[in-house]
Amino acid sequence: MNLMAQLPVLPVVIPFVAGALALLLPKGRAPWAWATFVSWLSFLASALLLREVAATGPVSYHLGDWPPPWGIEYRIDLANAIVLALVSGIAAAVAPFAYESVRAEIDERQSPYFYAAFLICVSGLLGVTATGDAFNIFVFLEISSLSTYALVAMGGRQDRRALTAAFTYLVMGTLGATFFVIGVGLLYHATGTLNLADLHLKLAGQHNRVVEAGFAFILVGIGLKLAMFPMHLWLPNAYAYAPSAVSAFLAATATKVAVYVLVRFFYSVFGLDFAFLGDALTYVLLPLGVAGMFVASLIAVFQHDVKRMLAYSSVGQIGYMLLGLSFGTREGLAAALIHLVNHGLMKGALFLAVACVVYRLGDHRCAAFSGLARRMPVTTWAFVLSGLSLIGVPGTVGFVSKWYLLEASFAAGHAWAAFMIVASSLIAVLYVGRVVELMLLREPPEQGPLSEPVKEAPLSMLIPMWALVAANLYFGLRTEFTAGFAEQAAAALMTVSGGR
Amino acid sequence: MSPQEAPGLTANLLIDLSLLTLLVFVALAMLRSRHLFAVVMLSGVYSLLSASFFVSLDAVDVAFTEAAVGAGISTVLMLAGMLLTARREKPARPRRAPVALLAVAAVGTALIYASLDMPAFGDPDSPANAGVGRDYLERTPKEIAVPNVVTAVLASYRGFDTLGEVMVIFTAGVAVILLLGAGSARGGRAVTDAEEDA
Amino acid sequence: MIDLAFIAERYNYWIFIVLMMIGVYIVISRGNLVKKIVGLNIFQTSVFIYYISIGKVAGGTAPILPAAYESGHEGKGARASAAHGESAPAPGAASGESLHAAPQSAPEALPANDLASAVAQTPQGAGPSGEAGLHAAPGEAANPLLAPPDGAGDAASALGEAAHKAAEIVYSNPLPHVLILTAIVVGVATTAVGLALAVRIREAYGTIEEDELEAADDIAEFGAAFGEKAEGARA
Repeated sequence: MNLMAQLPVLPVVIPFVAGALALLLPKGRAPWAWATFVSWLSFLASALLLREVAATGPVSYHLGDWPPPWGIEYRIDLANAIVLALVSGIAAAVAPFAYESVRAEIDERQSPYFYAAFLICVSGLLGVTATGDAFNIFVFLEISSLSTYALVAMGGRQDRRALTAAFTYLVMGTLGATFFVIGVGLLYHATGTLNLADLHLKLAGQHNRVVEAGFAFILVGIGLKLAMFPMHLWLPNAYAYAPSAVSAFLAATATKVAVYVLVRFFYSVFGLDFAFLGDALTYVLLPLGVAGMFVASLIAVFQHDVKRMLAYSSVGQIGYMLLGLSFGTREGLAAALIHLVNHGLMKGALFLAVACVVYRLGDHRCAAFSGLARRMPVTTWAFVLSGLSLIGVPGTVGFVSKWYLLEASFAAGHAWAAFMIVASSLIAVLYVGRVVELMLLREPPEQGPLSEPVKEAPLSMLIPMWALVAANLYFGLRTEFTAGFAEQAAAALMTVSGGR
Repeated sequence: MSPQEAPGLTANLLIDLSLLTLLVFVALAMLRSRHLFAVVMLSGVYSLLSASFFVSLDAVDVAFTEAAVGAGISTVLMLAGMLLTARREKPARPRRAPVALLAVAAVGTALIYASLDMPAFGDPDSPANAGVGRDYLERTPKEIAVPNVVTAVLASYRGFDTLGEVMVIFTAGVAVILLLGAGSARGGRAVTDAEEDA
Repeated sequence: MIDLAFIAERYNYWIFIVLMMIGVYIVISRGNLVKKIVGLNIFQTSVFIYYISIGKVAGGTAPILPAAYESGHEGKGARASAAHGESAPAPGAASGESLHAAPQSAPEALPANDLASAVAQTPQGAGPSGEAGLHAAPGEAANPLLAPPDGAGDAASALGEAAHKAAEIVYSNPLPHVLILTAIVVGVATTAVGLALAVRIREAYGTIEEDELEAADDIAEFGAAFGEKAEGARA
């Protein structure tokens, strides 16, 4: 069998099968080693796929050899190849990191189940990204969500609030997924097909109420999943109380995949000819995006818990992506895609740095970060550099994102939006600066449990963390991979959707 | 659809309508009751009613699954969950009601708005019924020697969905073991039923 | 303006909407975690009702192709020869009626599923093995009267009748059924995980009422519960 011909499904199928097999492994190191190996394999497949798609254009793979629209199709173009590479790349960085962190936070007897759930979650997110079938999106969304609920609840060993956070996430996530299914049902009712490309053809010229409602339900359903501003209530607690490694993986991937799904439906399914989309962009996405940028960022400033602060910051950063999307232009779409990847890189690195602190100090409240530069300098500098990236300092990926967003705002004639982006970045300076000030300028606590002398985090954690920090800097200088691919992807999506 | 074929009050339609109306009453009873035991039992009734509704709509496979999984497994799960947690629901906090009503009204309005443009119920030429679904009826006998088209689509054309469905169950199993199995740091607290007045 | 047919055509959808609203209302307004899961269940089941309603075809039956059709498709083996054996005598009033009925009702059966053409094609697809007896098989199954085993031309006309007979059967759309089979399983999986979480929460907090959970968290973090939550916890 020619393995290269199967390449489009490999990133999904490898962790899918491996997740089930992980249960057979003995507890201890073996499940972790397996998960690490598998996520690297999946990353390799995604990277090869990205290279192939960039060289030869979109790839279509027919599962079970049934041609679409009768069978399920995997359709990989640049837009989802990038997201596949991001998700599997973050998994490949978090998996090696997880060993020490998970050993400290989770009972050893649970390790086979934990890594099985991790791999299933990776596979689910990749499946959502790769598929070209609307109902298949729902199935894989649920695979990833169910494993995520369990993974978040694993933080209950440290803090019982993880359990309530997971429950809230389950309720909101299921509501979101079911809304999505209603939306898909309405579209099916109006078109008779589930294949995304076929939907686009059949929806062309349809402007009836069924399609409009279908659009609204998909927007709300995915909006819940991606923590669009007023629907973000599940996110801060879930990210704050999940096990540290899980927070890092989820923060860098889960909401990004949901943003991708939204992009796919907006541009590949509905298209800019669909008048309702234009209204939704202007009257829903734009205000909610801007509101998220400010309100969530401001809430972040007042958090006493660094993980919660980063979680609120994530809600704010999603606002940037929605703002980029809301312009409805090629530049805006490209900027949103660039920020999607870049935000994954910076949030991944930041949460890993917090995980190192939690590993040594057992706490993720601000107090634990006091005087950290003297105690854990390597971790501190990783946090500082990725924090600068979050703010958008030149030389980092954050700057690339902001630059493209600013350009897109001017190109779309929204100069005020550019002002908003800069103003909101200043809030990021506040909340990142607050932690950086604690780490660099304060003394370590002199009494209490946090005053015990601590060592730097082990190398198995430092190396993956610095790999992500390095990615933040590398892609900040060499923009042809992120920005270049994203611009091509945006151009291709725009051609399909009938925009300019 | 020509006028003389418009669905009159045939027996089938009457069964259909009465089952649906019953469903609404059961759902309302579930909303009102605070005896969780009664609510769980009603949810079993609800599933059985919807299963019979599925039969009247020709979805025998779905009806069978709903009766087995929805009315059977799901009810057992809920019964177990209820016995391990609480038997009674405390009165709802009134502050939530406006938010809930607002959300529900918005969603309901959107759907009723959509329903005005929906193809008529049972319309054989609605896009959904004329689309891929009809193709399956034509293709299955030629391509797959299985008389039950639902099985053919489930196992072959959309077999990947079914594989995903198996994975969903597997994931749920892993999740439950993670939550309640060995090493999950459960407190061994005995569950006592809080006996209080309704 | 009020059109009874219009209402009848949409009754299913409106019931789906009402059930869905009740489900969502329970999820949002109720504080008890088990009740919330029950609400989610109602919500999900209402979506099943919607999907299945989409796929209903008026006058249709379950999408399981009939045995006669199946034997015609396979065109060999025990079924065909059994039909062959029966064909010789059996002139019956009932079959005569059905013969008359078929052409009349066929045009009414609008969707027709194009089964007629599918049946007509099948014997050609069977290829070189198609001897007269085998060709006749579907026809015989449908109407023994018209299919004497010796006439190939008669067999062909019988085939046409069989096609009409097949066209009479209208099937409901199988695709929504397939999707909902998957969705039912997903719903139960979610219920299981949600209940497991509720059990853990009960063990960790001693309650599954949302107000009391929030109050307990506030007390743990700030030393006091606030506002309405505090009252809820005391109640």
